[in-house]
Amino acid sequence: MHLDYSVITANWRFLADGVGITVLLALASGAASLIAGFVLALLRLRGPRWLRPAIVFYIDSMRSIPVLVVLVWTFFALPIVAGVTMSPFTAGLIGLTVHLAAYAAEIVRAGIESVRPGQTRAALALGMSHPQILRRVVLPQALVRMLPAFGSLLSVTIKDTAIASVIAVPELMRRAETVAGQSFQPIEVYTFAMLVYFVLLYPVTRGVDRFYRRVAHLGRS
Amino acid sequence: MTLDWSVVWQYRAALAEGTATTFLLTIATMAIALPCGIVVAGLRLYGAAPLRALATGYVELFRNLPLILVVYWAFYVLPILTGLGLSALATGLAALSLNVTAYNAETFRAGINSIRRGQVEAALALGMTRTQALRRIVLPQALRRVLPVLASTWVSLFKDTSLVSVIAVTELAYVSMQVRAQTFRVLEMLTAMAVIYWLLGYPQAKLVDWIQRRYAVSE
Repeated sequence: MHLDYSVITANWRFLADGVGITVLLALASGAASLIAGFVLALLRLRGPRWLRPAIVFYIDSMRSIPVLVVLVWTFFALPIVAGVTMSPFTAGLIGLTVHLAAYAAEIVRAGIESVRPGQTRAALALGMSHPQILRRVVLPQALVRMLPAFGSLLSVTIKDTAIASVIAVPELMRRAETVAGQSFQPIEVYTFAMLVYFVLLYPVTRGVDRFYRRVAHLGRS
Repeated sequence: MTLDWSVVWQYRAALAEGTATTFLLTIATMAIALPCGIVVAGLRLYGAAPLRALATGYVELFRNLPLILVVYWAFYVLPILTGLGLSALATGLAALSLNVTAYNAETFRAGINSIRRGQVEAALALGMTRTQALRRIVLPQALRRVLPVLASTWVSLFKDTSLVSVIAVTELAYVSMQVRAQTFRVLEMLTAMAVIYWLLGYPQAKLVDWIQRRYAVSE
């Protein structure tokens, strides 16, 4: 088996731009789903009663449909329904956010529920209002406890951006396919892509673990 | 916009076959990844140093790669490495198994580590051998604890089988997208695909919730 890695250097810029788009898409959809997750979880826990079943239904639906299906539907079917055209990147961003927000909402809910109700009652007895309790008693502890789960969600987000290649978002996976197809050297190109993804993902997983070990004591009660 | 939903009914046989392949892939992958996961976890915990490093490297590598890339990689590299002309289905199965084995290994390792050391020490003090302590004290408790995690891995796997559609394995996602391309009924077929996945996945997700409540650890 003869391997020739010059195909990587020859397409260096093209692939590096792909890495940039992968990172951008991961950060954008990660941030958007984080915000949406907080809103959803707070609405589920504190919002009007009639809204709760709808949120639970949405979350459970996203847990049962593959992200590939969500992405493909957003890119090909949503424009027909909504009558708008979207770039692959926008569709990828929307699809990933819609999917990941459900997971983020579950993380936020678990974090908030992990703070014992006795603390809320004690704060009420001290005369705090509900928003005050959330901000000053519950969230400071809950946020720390959510950290490891958000770390793995970020790594899932980076991995899921690769699936956006099926709707032609020009990120690393898509560009690797293009280069592999043009050069007829799939082994070199895909092995290189593996290396890049590993280098992107490993520090995220490890870094979050490390950071959490330093701050874990802040979440104890 | 005129919609023609009859296309879904017209292609019901193909969709049913795709659904069957999706389930076949899920079951076969789990059947491979459960024993392999136990072996890899065992190597990581009790193996000789080089084996331990190898097992750790394998788990870390596959947990940090997008599955879709592993699928492509397997499609192009496995035939060259093994010298076999593997079918798309076999290649997809191999890629999924490599991925899920890594996750299962980590699950089993965490489960075994979660049993307090004192229990093994007590078993040793009672005169059990290490193997006996592992088989009769640690594993029965560890397996019960990992069940909820394995259940949610199952649902993830069920969804992830859709990714082998990129190498033309004729499972549900691939079949739906093929019909879409042949009939141009884009909205109908893609919605049907989402609904079928939802109908199959929703009960499984609910079952996982139930298992998680039923087997919740309280010490």
